[in-house]
Amino acid sequence: MLSGIVFSIEEFAINDGPGIRTTVFLKGCPLRCAWCHNPEGWSPEPQWLTKKGRKERCGYAIGADELAAKLLRDKDLYRDSGGGVTFTGGEPLMQAPFLCDVMCRLPGIHKAVETSGYGSAQAFGSVLERADLLLFDVKLADPALHRRYTGVDNGQILANLERLKASGKPFVARIPLIPGVNDTLQNMEATARLLEGAAGLERAELLRYHQTAGAKYPMVGLPYNPPFDENQAPEIHDCFTERGIKLMIL
Amino acid sequence: MNERIEALKSFIWNRKHHAFRTTPEQLGLDKLCETFQARGIAPQERSARMLQALLEAEKPVILEGETIVATRTITRIPSIFTEQEWADIRAHHTLHERGTVSNISADYEGILRDGLGLRKQQVEERARDKGLTAGQQAFLASARESIEAVQAFILKYRDCAESAGLVQVAHNLTQIHSGAPQTFHQALQLLRIVHFALWESDCYHNTLGRFDQYMYPFYLADKAAGRLTDDEAFDLIEEFFLACNKDSDLYIGMQQGDNGQSIVLGGRNPQGEYLFNALSEMCLRASYELNLIDPKINLRCDAQTPLEVFKLGAQLTKRGLGFPQYDNDDVVIPGLLKLGYSPEDAYNYVVAACWEFIVPKNGMEIVNIDALSFAGVVSDALEHLGEYPSYEAFYAYVDSLIKAECERITKAHDKLYIVPAPWMSMLMGGTIERAQDISLGGNSNNYGVHGTGLSTAADSLAVIKKYYYEEKSLSLEELMDAVHHNFKGHEALQEKLRNEAPKMGLDQEEPDAIGGALLASFAQGLQGKRNERGGIWRAGTGTAMYYIFHAKDLPATPDGRFAGEVIPANFTPSMFLRQQGPVSVMRSFSKQHLEDTINGGPLTIELDETIFRNEESLEKLAMLIRNYMRLGGHQLQLNTLNRDTLLDAKKHPERHRDLIVRVWGWSGYFVELDECYQDHIIERIKYKI
Repeated sequence: MLSGIVFSIEEFAINDGPGIRTTVFLKGCPLRCAWCHNPEGWSPEPQWLTKKGRKERCGYAIGADELAAKLLRDKDLYRDSGGGVTFTGGEPLMQAPFLCDVMCRLPGIHKAVETSGYGSAQAFGSVLERADLLLFDVKLADPALHRRYTGVDNGQILANLERLKASGKPFVARIPLIPGVNDTLQNMEATARLLEGAAGLERAELLRYHQTAGAKYPMVGLPYNPPFDENQAPEIHDCFTERGIKLMIL
Repeated sequence: MNERIEALKSFIWNRKHHAFRTTPEQLGLDKLCETFQARGIAPQERSARMLQALLEAEKPVILEGETIVATRTITRIPSIFTEQEWADIRAHHTLHERGTVSNISADYEGILRDGLGLRKQQVEERARDKGLTAGQQAFLASARESIEAVQAFILKYRDCAESAGLVQVAHNLTQIHSGAPQTFHQALQLLRIVHFALWESDCYHNTLGRFDQYMYPFYLADKAAGRLTDDEAFDLIEEFFLACNKDSDLYIGMQQGDNGQSIVLGGRNPQGEYLFNALSEMCLRASYELNLIDPKINLRCDAQTPLEVFKLGAQLTKRGLGFPQYDNDDVVIPGLLKLGYSPEDAYNYVVAACWEFIVPKNGMEIVNIDALSFAGVVSDALEHLGEYPSYEAFYAYVDSLIKAECERITKAHDKLYIVPAPWMSMLMGGTIERAQDISLGGNSNNYGVHGTGLSTAADSLAVIKKYYYEEKSLSLEELMDAVHHNFKGHEALQEKLRNEAPKMGLDQEEPDAIGGALLASFAQGLQGKRNERGGIWRAGTGTAMYYIFHAKDLPATPDGRFAGEVIPANFTPSMFLRQQGPVSVMRSFSKQHLEDTINGGPLTIELDETIFRNEESLEKLAMLIRNYMRLGGHQLQLNTLNRDTLLDAKKHPERHRDLIVRVWGWSGYFVELDECYQDHIIERIKYKI
């Protein structure tokens, strides 16, 4: 039995998939997106946050069995509402063996995984196999811009996306709308082309940037200096509907 | 909302009808008590005469577009006693709050069925009984006078309507002057006037009961006769609801808005039918459209209630009015049966001003007579912690203190005096047969006691159990020094206690079980005790305003709470719980034997407005509400709030006149609340979902 590091469990998550869901936040992320609003999810280790001068622990180790038991308590509610459990992060693929262990212990429960897609083919494949739904981030299509704004190359991400498409597994593409960074017509066109024709794609979601994104940086002792204008309204280009992709703007 | 209702709402909202108001001083009615005293008139008769004088002094006012009439023009209801007489009463009696009949639910069904004329006839027939005492005769005389006063008031309005050319209004008033209402519209008119007269008779927290049930036969009859369309019925309900807001600034409670105008919708009958009908739905929709604080809606539901009903409720929850409040028949009815209520009464339960479960028509309960401070008891017990070798022994001590407190409470309310209420008596079953005023008692005369600071107490005991007795990581000296010095020098400990220690609301076994034990001690402490009126004592999970009173003098507590720091209202987690979310909270707050503490008091959860941005969220919220019923929770109150709006409203009250919030068991206008209540609400929303 494996154990992993979780930094939050949120119930009644209504934006993370169908029905009433519980969202589990797995700690650790290899990306450094310039707009990230969960910097406490970066480090894979438990750490201290400073809130109003007081220290608060963030992240704890938990066994796969314990976490699964906790999640199973609400199986009736998931069933009645057509909901389930969503794993997010951080980047859940960083703890793929633990995540797989937990998912194996949740038979009959709808399981969604939100991922940047950044992880080895093996890690991604193992999670894909066990999940019922993927919430797959498509942040930037251009490799150079992807490196610049997230700190990592998107080669592996795009390879995993192809694998996801080929699998036919249901998925939602999630695109953060960052003004001046990825809200261009060019990027949206490229993103839509990436997604076009995927049998499992349920819809694309454009997620508006929230100006409160920087709120947690002081807690982890880091400055927040987004390299874009936070106050600028994003451009909204619907390159999706014409390609037969359902679009939701949140 | 049609144009007529819109215009009426705007007129009332802008308080234009306040221009018609006069004070009792201007009318010379403030001195009436002195005349009563000088002439040695008995209290029973005084009540009738005062009502008569007030109704006579009311100027008939019919607002533009109104078809359900009666507007209060007298700003204050003078007392029937002089100050000196009150002092004398206080010297010999205890009083409950203001001393007049309050917080019960009249038999509207009966008066709408019988009409005023038949009621008067019943009184006169009863008075022919030669075997009655002088006191009984005096009661019946004052009862008859009260009915006549209301009838005269109706005629005055009828004449006014006639001279204004309002044919329909005049016709309705003519019919209900003596006869039973023949239409839905007439029934609403009679309801308006009998309810109006309750306020005029100085009774308060005048609830409206099962409106959708007692109005339903009138609706059905009109529909069958082709006299009424659903649109017309809906407009009339809106007009009636609007009327409930017309004079409510004059209704007295602990705070503005705390006026007890609750209605109850839906509910299951003994045959298992769910009684949510077309009117129930119209009420929810009307309240949504009007966006006003009255009437405050309760929705009776259970695990089997259709999701569509919960969705209608969730829709209104989204509005941010702080209601409907959801009451679970699956728990409440068995709880009331256990307390000894008849099946008929238990199945017919309604909700008093806030959340107390009462029986309408014949119950003279006093459901908020006192409150037990769980947190206070634990705080007192803590001083003797060192004397107890085990948690079990320590809890036995806590249990004994709770029972001693119950003993004290049940002794503290003897020699109760309540001002006679002949008009209310005419709307309550059994009073004519007994020839006795309702103030002296009804079919059931039970007293209810609130329990405050339950989670603070349970969390504190969980700390003591875990860290002091089990892990032994917290010494007696350190704990006592910390609470005696308000955690000064013990900041790290306090941090741990606030943020890491077990708490109710996280679905942890220990604190939830301790919460259950505390409630059980409370229920046992009151069980078997009788009050002087022969009624029982009922334990509850509500707090009323005691959550403010009891927190003030409460020292620092082992859960990490500072001295004087707020405690939660009602049946709710600690104010500094780091929530996982509402599902765990619902689990934690449904494990106890809630049918044994059924005086009422809801689990309260704050929702952030933003959750409603997602169009699917209404249905999800409906499922969440149903989940609490399925878990066996007894009562749920959901408040939709926006922190920024509240903060801005504190700074700029003039911009937020219409901002409505739920306070402890009622909804009011935020800007009209005392600051301590405003701040408590702002504090609460940190823990929203």
